[in-house]
Amino acid sequence: MSRGTLVYAAQRLVLITVTAVVVSSIVFIGIHQLPGNALASERRNNPATEAALLHHYNLDLPWPQQYVLWVQGLAHGDMGESLVNMGVQITPLLLREARVSVTLGLAAVLITIGVGLTLGTIAAIRQNTWVDYVASTSAVVGYSVPSFVWAFLLILLTVSGFYAWTGGLVYENIGWGKIEQIPVPALALGLPYAAIVARLTRASMLEVIRQDYVRTAWAKGLKARVVILRHSLRNALIPVISILGPLVTGIITGSVVIEYIFGIPGLGQEFVSSILSRDYNIVIGVFTFYAVLIGLANLAVDLIYPVLDPRIRY
Amino acid sequence: MRAVDGISFDVDRGEIVGVVGESGSGKTMTALSLLRLVPEPGKITGRILYGENDVLEMTDDEIREFRGNEVAMIFQDPMTSMNPVLRVGFQIEEAMAAHRRFTGQQARDRVVPMLQRVRIPAAKERIKDFPHQFSGGMRQRAMIAMGVSNEPSLLIADEPTTALDVTVQASIIELLRDISRELRAAVILITHNMALVASLCNRVIVMYAGRIVEQGPTRAIFKNPQHPYTWSLLRSMPRMDEVGKERLVSIRGVPPDLGKLPTGCKFHPRCRFKVDRCLTEEPPLAEVDPEQLARCWVLMKNVPNPEMQS
Repeated sequence: MSRGTLVYAAQRLVLITVTAVVVSSIVFIGIHQLPGNALASERRNNPATEAALLHHYNLDLPWPQQYVLWVQGLAHGDMGESLVNMGVQITPLLLREARVSVTLGLAAVLITIGVGLTLGTIAAIRQNTWVDYVASTSAVVGYSVPSFVWAFLLILLTVSGFYAWTGGLVYENIGWGKIEQIPVPALALGLPYAAIVARLTRASMLEVIRQDYVRTAWAKGLKARVVILRHSLRNALIPVISILGPLVTGIITGSVVIEYIFGIPGLGQEFVSSILSRDYNIVIGVFTFYAVLIGLANLAVDLIYPVLDPRIRY
Repeated sequence: MRAVDGISFDVDRGEIVGVVGESGSGKTMTALSLLRLVPEPGKITGRILYGENDVLEMTDDEIREFRGNEVAMIFQDPMTSMNPVLRVGFQIEEAMAAHRRFTGQQARDRVVPMLQRVRIPAAKERIKDFPHQFSGGMRQRAMIAMGVSNEPSLLIADEPTTALDVTVQASIIELLRDISRELRAAVILITHNMALVASLCNRVIVMYAGRIVEQGPTRAIFKNPQHPYTWSLLRSMPRMDEVGKERLVSIRGVPPDLGKLPTGCKFHPRCRFKVDRCLTEEPPLAEVDPEQLARCWVLMKNVPNPEMQS
């Protein structure tokens, strides 16, 4: 990695930090404009207890002051305490959940790239044959069906399907904790994006295999595999990489729904439940984590460019 | 549509054969078919003999072993003919590694000497460069190094200097000539530069509308061009010894659309000497002089034509 790249990455990291602060501030200000709070419930509380609770969470202060206190905490990596489950520190909780979400997200990205590149490449080198038609049609179906529909279809297929077909021998439960529970939600999350990658790869490959340097590669007497993978696909990947940024963002935000459906204890599920229970501190924390994750993912994508294409230098 | 029709010629070891003609006359397609590299959905029929072997009969593996090893090709545009994401040295090494002539170690060791041989300065450092760090002339040198790295017996150079600066054209041509001599390789030089042909080639093939219209030894073609097209081509070329004496003649009309070829002789709409037969019947490529072939009715009928004897 060149010096320029390191400087560029450092600049981007600063920008990500700034983005995270801005995002959290907007959410902080927005959420405090909502009427009521997490402690409001049908159950009547002792006024003294309630006052004590409000004081404990600094909720009795005017919100600009709360904001300053919160930012001070954030600077030390402390995102505060859960309003619903007293005593639960948010930072370690979200870090634990982020690990789950990142694992799921990476698995989905791997599936997306693996399936997408393979289908797209095969479709391109077999252009206008039945292989191409099957691959291209599947791609259209793939991205026309949203993730949550894939999720239910896949649950039907793997969870109940395998159980019924094997007479109860194979029973795969949805959830989290075992490695074999990763592929199904990752597939549901990644399939629509795999379809996009496949279409893009096909178009890009079709352009590259007509390039002069590919003809040179054939004229050198290289093996077809070398011509396709080393000389064509590598160049065809450059435009495909540009979709990876929005794609990773889509996968991260898409995981909100998928984690909820599959009961995966990640950031996405926390996101939904914290909003429902008005656990302000967690809501802000989840938003901030998402902002950082998306920023880091996009940075990672941008750092792939100079590796693939030596003409790009930061 | 027939881009190229009824082409037949031979090339001997050590010989440099020039293929000339306007753009779209089928020069490049002829060259690509020798390596079976005609783009889809193109088809080649007939026979292409390399020694005793027919290129068109080769299996996929045989043709792969043949390309770049027995016959190497140098393309027109060095800017687009090298892979932009692979190092120059690697692209040369890869050409050798694809064949069995050299071992992997020999291939690696030969890259720097090959680049030195095509006169690239500081070759040892430059092998790590990417093509965009090379100038056009250097890239074409590198392409030549790549082409001759396997010591092929036939080198096809498809307009190797067209895309280059005039100042580097001469040095590239010189390099091609020297290297082919060293290797005792045959060269097919595709060009529309008649001056280049005159200085470099032993024999000339003139193509028009996908056909050979005239072929013969360079000397004969230049001294005594027979076909009206060849004659016009030579008239359209500036000459040092005739400065100021004569206007350059352009060939009137445009090359025909290959989808809508005229009947009879394909050159007749642009020909000043056409007779009735030219409109209906295509002339065969026939001997008009010892060693010299031309495709023209007028020549065969021995119609005297003072203007063509100039």
